[in-house]
Amino acid sequence: MDFGFTKEQQMFKKEIIRFAKKEIVPRVQEFDLHKQFDFESFRKLGEFGILGLHFPEEYGGGGADVVTTVMAGEALGEAGVDGGLTLAYGAHSFLCADTIFKHGSEEQRKKYIPKLCSGEWIGCMGLTEPDAGSDVASMKSTAEKKGDKYILNGSKIFITNAPVADVSVVYAKTDPDAKHLGISAFIVEKGTPGYTCGEPLIKMGVRTSQTSEQFFSNCEIPAENLLGSEGDGFNMSLQTVEWDRSALLAPFVGVSTYMLKRCADYAKKRVQFGRSIGQFQATKRKLANIRIFGEAARSLIYRIAWCKDQGKPLNHLEAAVAKLFVGDWSMGPANDAMILHGGYGYCHEYDMERIFRDSRLAPIGGGTSDIQKMIISKLM
Amino acid sequence: MNYEYSQKEFEFFIELYQMVSAYSASHPMDTGGADCEKNIQGGVEKLGQTPYLKLGVSDVENANGLVTLMGAMEVVAAVSPSLYLTAEYSMRLLGRALAKWGDEKQKQAFLNPLISGSAIGALALCEQTVNVDNEPLAATGEKQGSTVIISGRKQFVVNGPVAKVIGVVGTCDGKPAIFLVDGDAPGLSINRTEGSFGYKGACISEMILENCRIDEDRMIRCSEKEDMVSVLRLWENQILTGASLGLMRASFESARDYAKSHKTGGKPIIAYQEIGFKLAEMLTLFQTSQMLAIRAAWTAEKQPREAFDLTLCAKVFCTESAARVSGEAMNIFGSSAYFGANPVEHAYCCARYGESFGTSTELSRIKIGDAALGIKP
Ligand SMILES: Cc1cc2nc3c(=O)[nH]c(=O)nc-3n(C[C@H](O)[C@H](O)[C@H](O)COP(=O)(O)OP(=O)(O)OC[C@H]3O[C@@H](n4cnc5c(N)ncnc54)[C@H](O)[C@@H]3O)c2cc1C
Ligand SMILES: Cc1cc2nc3c(=O)[nH]c(=O)nc-3n(C[C@H](O)[C@H](O)[C@H](O)COP(=O)(O)OP(=O)(O)OC[C@H]3O[C@@H](n4cnc5c(N)ncnc54)[C@H](O)[C@@H]3O)c2cc1C
Repeated sequence: MDFGFTKEQQMFKKEIIRFAKKEIVPRVQEFDLHKQFDFESFRKLGEFGILGLHFPEEYGGGGADVVTTVMAGEALGEAGVDGGLTLAYGAHSFLCADTIFKHGSEEQRKKYIPKLCSGEWIGCMGLTEPDAGSDVASMKSTAEKKGDKYILNGSKIFITNAPVADVSVVYAKTDPDAKHLGISAFIVEKGTPGYTCGEPLIKMGVRTSQTSEQFFSNCEIPAENLLGSEGDGFNMSLQTVEWDRSALLAPFVGVSTYMLKRCADYAKKRVQFGRSIGQFQATKRKLANIRIFGEAARSLIYRIAWCKDQGKPLNHLEAAVAKLFVGDWSMGPANDAMILHGGYGYCHEYDMERIFRDSRLAPIGGGTSDIQKMIISKLM
Repeated sequence: MNYEYSQKEFEFFIELYQMVSAYSASHPMDTGGADCEKNIQGGVEKLGQTPYLKLGVSDVENANGLVTLMGAMEVVAAVSPSLYLTAEYSMRLLGRALAKWGDEKQKQAFLNPLISGSAIGALALCEQTVNVDNEPLAATGEKQGSTVIISGRKQFVVNGPVAKVIGVVGTCDGKPAIFLVDGDAPGLSINRTEGSFGYKGACISEMILENCRIDEDRMIRCSEKEDMVSVLRLWENQILTGASLGLMRASFESARDYAKSHKTGGKPIIAYQEIGFKLAEMLTLFQTSQMLAIRAAWTAEKQPREAFDLTLCAKVFCTESAARVSGEAMNIFGSSAYFGANPVEHAYCCARYGESFGTSTELSRIKIGDAALGIKP
């Protein structure tokens, strides 16, 4: 076993942190306050090469391995980038672009991937429906083939980036009577007649990411927008799980390092009872809890990333363990960080309350903690 | 980067498991009593026939030092916590101290028998005010010519009553030292501490040293730059971390198997979410602990300067997880865990030890917090 990163990886991580601190972090609180998507920061992520990091260079990507890609996510969190922007990046690069890259035709790759890598276009992925969340197979959206077209009907909910997206990967049933095997995936572009999005939902956290419903009403798309073959959709959505359990979790790990630094700085300066609060054991305990969580979670996500780099099939049990741990065990440290800041921690002036809100998504998005427990208990 | 043990390492773990479990089936080591004590001594000898005792102390073919050791620790601790504790406090505390700081003569005389398993050693560190290393050591050695005269009082010394040689940690001329005292040396009295809550087969004792004499060449010193007590604590924390992994494995696997076979309402209890999800949480804590423990071991070997805090993080996380996992296992077993000696109950009792010993959970958190604040120890 060897847990070391290469020198290049370490340097790259430092570069990302420097870039994000300078270009993105100063804008985070303002955009969070106004619940706005930060187009400029998103574009800068593209310019820096983060949006397309793991795609081959010929498609405008960076050609990086999975570990480096996960490291980039960790670095963004560590720099203090908000969970909204990192979620938007995750939905764009992994849930949307990666699915198109992996299952699309060469023509589709050439058409979409370079634009998604650069950030010129924004992507999203519509899987969840109002009545089909954890139970994906019960989805009701349909795609009916008519000649050289598919006609999409139905609706999606909680779709990250939907209000700002140029392109969407949408899952719908081509065989409504079949369960998982009836699901297929399609590319739907913004402006396609019959496709509309709802107003951005008002959310507790990750507020700079825009989340909304997607509506499909006799929405006609060319038949070639089918990704892979009919019935492949469920497996495609499963394949995004590898990214979901590594790259999408990485910012949560990075943010724990950020919290630790911020909390330590605050604890050194804040004086109560004639002493800096850092001198109280209760404060040290909180700092320790944050550190311990980060260290524990880090190994889990890099394990998934390393295995993917080795070409090993995803170990679903290990993936669920990573998701469950980050989801459920991140709550304590985020809470500690907020409380350590006392009343200031509760106010927007300090970003601890935002981090607390952002972190609440971890046990819900991409499969709730209960679903992870279900998977683990079945596989054990 | 590499997140997996090699094939050779896996093979070694399997052989080790087969050997220890076969021996433990015919030689109970966790029940307490004289037979148990003898069985453990036999068990340590058996371990001496494998590379286990050498790990982390000298090079072993196809092994990756402390990283392999952490995996092997889990195997032994899962089968017999008492054998584990005995072997570890002998080898990975006294043995490592001899390997790191001892001279050739000391290694020949004292380390080799520990490695071969033909003798058991002990390291006496803990004192009444040094249980969580917050007071200076009171045990002292005073030099008179080529003799050192040792006085002091030690408590909760693992292996005290069965040790051939005991490394007594104290100071001499104001500097840290380990005095190598024979188990039957005049001036040394050892009182067994009876009725331990866990590790029922291990021998734990109090020790009083009154003008106990050794030759000067039985004294071990570290370099000026090193903090001997911190290093010993780090090793002890690694031992307790490894123990936690084994205790979690034993508890989790027993509880999982029980939940699959025990039925209520016509269904195996694992089919109920309260039990199935509890097991999922247990496995999550166990796997997360494994990864963290192994990474801490790797760091101790490759980036020793970063290892102190990370080892404490691993120690806190793993020992607390072991307490929780073993407690949940008790729940899953219901009343059947509550009566008589069984592995789940014993693992639960042993797990209580991990949080309080070594650098206690409370003190570890303070030190980790200090590190975050940039406060140097
Ligand atoms: C901010 C945000 C962004 C999102 N982005 C996207 C996106 O980009 N694309 C997308 O497709 N989806 C997205 N989602 C949706 C997300 O994946 C779902 O919310 C999640 O899978 C849970 O589904 P649900 O909300 O319908 O909850 P439900 O499935 O209705 O679950 C409700 C509760 O019941 C529990 N539960 C359900 N089934 C079981 C069971 N069998 N046993 C025990 N407990 C159970 C759940 O754990 C949960 O606590 C996003 C969600 C949020 C909040
Ligand atoms: C929404 C809101 C409404 C409020 N309304 C009012 C109001 O109407 N009137 C009013 O007067 N105040 C009000 N407050 C202030 C509130 O009472 C204080 O925020 C609270 O007492 C904590 O003080 P502090 O924020 O200065 O934190 P600090 O005292 O600076 O504490 C910071 C951290 O250090 C810890 N700490 C401090 N001392 C010790 C110690 N000795 N040992 C261990 N840990 C220690 C704390 O537990 C905390 O985690 C309000 C606060 C909020 C958030």
